[in-house]
Amino acid sequence: MTGPDHPPDGAAHRRRPDRERKPAAFRLDDARVRLDSDAHEALTRGETRVVPTGATAPRQAAATPERSPRGVSWGRWLTIGLGGLASLAIGLSIDALIRDLFARTDWLGWLAVALAGLAAMALLGLILREVTGLLRLKKIDEIRTSLTAAAEDDDDATARAGLRQLIALYRERPETARGRRALTDHLGEVIDGRDLVILAERDLLKPLDARALRIVNDSVKRVSLVTAISPRAVLDLAIVLVENLRIMRRISALYGGRPGVFGFLRLARHVAAHLAVTGGMAAGDSLVSQLLGHGLAARLSARLGEGVINGLLTARVGIAAIEVCRPAPFIAARGPNVSDVMGELFKGDPEAQALLEEAKAAPPRKD
Amino acid sequence: MAQRNFLSRLGDELRYSLDNLTETVGDLAVPTVRLGVTGLSRAGKTVFITALIHNLVNGGRLPMFDASAEGRIARAALEPQPDDDVPRFDVEAHVETLLNERLWPQSTRRISELRLTIEFESASLLSRTLGRGRLHLDIVDYPGEWLLDLPLLEKDFRSFCEEALARARDPARADVAAPFLAALAAADARAEAAEPTARLLASRYTDYLGACRADERALSMLPPGRFLMPGDLEGSPALTFAPLDPATLEGSPRPGSLAAMMERRFEAYKKHIVRPFFRDHFARLDRQIVLVDALNALNAGPAALRDLEAALAEILAAFRPGRVSRLFSIFTRRIDRILFAATKADHLHRADHDRLEAILKRTVARAIERAEYSGADVDALALAAIRATREASVTHDGETMPAILGTPLPGERVNGDTYDGNTEIALFPGDLPDDPEEVFAGSEARNPPVRFVRFRPPALQTTAEGATLSLPHIRLDRALQFLIGDHLA
Ligand SMILES: Nc1nc2c(ncn2[C@@H]2O[C@H](COP(=O)(O)OP(=O)(O)OP(=O)(O)O)[C@@H](O)[C@H]2O)c(=O)[nH]1
Ligand SMILES: [Mg+2]
Repeated sequence: MTGPDHPPDGAAHRRRPDRERKPAAFRLDDARVRLDSDAHEALTRGETRVVPTGATAPRQAAATPERSPRGVSWGRWLTIGLGGLASLAIGLSIDALIRDLFARTDWLGWLAVALAGLAAMALLGLILREVTGLLRLKKIDEIRTSLTAAAEDDDDATARAGLRQLIALYRERPETARGRRALTDHLGEVIDGRDLVILAERDLLKPLDARALRIVNDSVKRVSLVTAISPRAVLDLAIVLVENLRIMRRISALYGGRPGVFGFLRLARHVAAHLAVTGGMAAGDSLVSQLLGHGLAARLSARLGEGVINGLLTARVGIAAIEVCRPAPFIAARGPNVSDVMGELFKGDPEAQALLEEAKAAPPRKD
Repeated sequence: MAQRNFLSRLGDELRYSLDNLTETVGDLAVPTVRLGVTGLSRAGKTVFITALIHNLVNGGRLPMFDASAEGRIARAALEPQPDDDVPRFDVEAHVETLLNERLWPQSTRRISELRLTIEFESASLLSRTLGRGRLHLDIVDYPGEWLLDLPLLEKDFRSFCEEALARARDPARADVAAPFLAALAAADARAEAAEPTARLLASRYTDYLGACRADERALSMLPPGRFLMPGDLEGSPALTFAPLDPATLEGSPRPGSLAAMMERRFEAYKKHIVRPFFRDHFARLDRQIVLVDALNALNAGPAALRDLEAALAEILAAFRPGRVSRLFSIFTRRIDRILFAATKADHLHRADHDRLEAILKRTVARAIERAEYSGADVDALALAAIRATREASVTHDGETMPAILGTPLPGERVNGDTYDGNTEIALFPGDLPDDPEEVFAGSEARNPPVRFVRFRPPALQTTAEGATLSLPHIRLDRALQFLIGDHLA
């Protein structure tokens, strides 16, 4: 057998040689048997190495992301070209400025050099942050993909690798310490792949899910109330836009992402794509279609003002953001839906609550 | 085939209904779940029950058992059991042997019962306000051999003889059956009944059954069960019978003949021993776990597996799975969830658990089908109530194999090497085939490609405060979640 001398638990055992292997037993007190957890010296003939697995310390499994083949992206090249030109122009003008300043007085020139250096450093820092932010988002996507696959195929090895990455992702978050400890314990036991993903959801992500729901809730409330009393449609639009962007940023940060500007753009794109897949506002969420279909939305908004529609939109965006930012799929836990979020909004208003109940109970409209 | 007479059956049904009615009234106070732990001898019933109690009472690690993982179990303790005439399951003694002496409990010799009361907090607001935070879990432990009697209830003496002799003449059993068959040939069924003849036949038949059960054959279909595990009936006339050659049973036997005596004793066995046992402990179950020791049969080869399959098929046909409507359930109880579990999964590496599960599903395929058809929820998994091994990877002669680490019981052998019960070994037990059919096909001539060894129970570390850590297990939590999780939701 080729490959690493000591295989990570699980993965290597799945591949079996074609020929039949005979049962074999080795006494651990035999002089020719070496029991160690990390040895690299070669074995001589007749010697045996025994490496306990399963409860070993977490070993980072290298996940190799698959690159999807893409056509030539002209837009990207255009951006690169134009961006390069712009940077050259800026560089040139700074250069000219510094020369001019030196031509006047020396100290002004030096000051300019120092300022330019500072700016360059800051730029570098910014770029670094953007890059790490992007990588982190990508990592979260990767973890979600592998956990989804692990749950689907009930694959032990993939689930374990995914869980370890998840633990690493939240390493710097003290409030997840308990969940991480529980997950580390689970990793030492024989638990099936799908069950491991469920445990990760329950032990690590459940508190985060609750907070995410609260974030969406707050935003929905704010949007509904503020747009209900705002005098202008343009102002409504601005408020909805800002609040939705805020939701995305907060939820991403909650689930471990640290998006910078570009990361944020990427995130927004994913949320938009997600909304497109799930059919924007109405489809996919029975409650919303009920509301719209039975004219209840009109009655609701007559009661609570225009704000409700904006609130619905915000709720949809928030839920999409949760699904895009969460590093695991919803398997055992039910993902949040619009009624979870909107219900809160109507709590104080019994009549609206009744309308909502009516919408839930009404048979789906067929058209 | 002649059936059990209609009146006695009607009587039984009436009695079940009455019992259920009184119990339903009791259930209004505290709901009761009767969990049937079913398994042939050495399948792992006693160990399963012990591990279940120990983990629930001591708050063991059960991550997939929701109520426990969410910290909603306030207390679980043994309480006085419902039947006063049945001994109590001696869980303290079993735990003591397991933890301190590191030995498995002895083979069970008599029936015992226990009631575990779980106090919990419901996850749903409604049931929390209704305050139904208690659940009784009733479990019965018994010698697995007795289960083999269940199929006899539906048989008369003639069909019992036909089947028993067909099996005894099977080539796989012929050599161990020879002494019994010789004694049978010498006895005349039509002659005047004589006690010595009956006793000789019964003891030869018992010896033959015992030989079939030994490890190298590991056969399962060995009725009547009390012959192998008489309990307190040893030597009683009800156990002093044996199957006769069906060829000599033409017509109804002359009163006073050997055949007549044997038939009478067989009927007495059914009436006084088998039926009460079944009626009192199996007719009213809510949930059932069927423990199957596939490994012992795998060690012995395809004939043992086929025999195990046949035995389980007959036994499981005697249970009543299926869903009943709420109203109807006042009068009848039905098993609405059945879990099939391949026990001792710690004897092989986790990479082979899926294959063990496939073999299990193949073994009980008929029972699974029947249960699903009647509307019960069915699941199957590989389980170790107590995990006695750790996993490892072994490199030898340039080859790396998945292995398990554990201390074999004294006298266990691998490749001619015998162990003394104190040495720890790394064992690669061989590969299970991807296709479960492979282990059922073929004859014993082929050397079985796997070798499973019995290990001693694990040594448990104690924490600094002197408390013992919980018993390790494999998928016991999933089994519990399936069996009683909904009652604690
Ligand atoms: N390693 C391991 N061995 C087990 C486990 N369960 C049972 N065994 C082995 O199987 C043997 C029989 O288990 P028991 O629980 O006594 O079986 P039983 O079904 O009660 O058998 P009877 O009382 O004869 O009907 C034990 O002595 C152990 O060697 C387990 O979870 N892990
Ligand atoms: Mg027992």
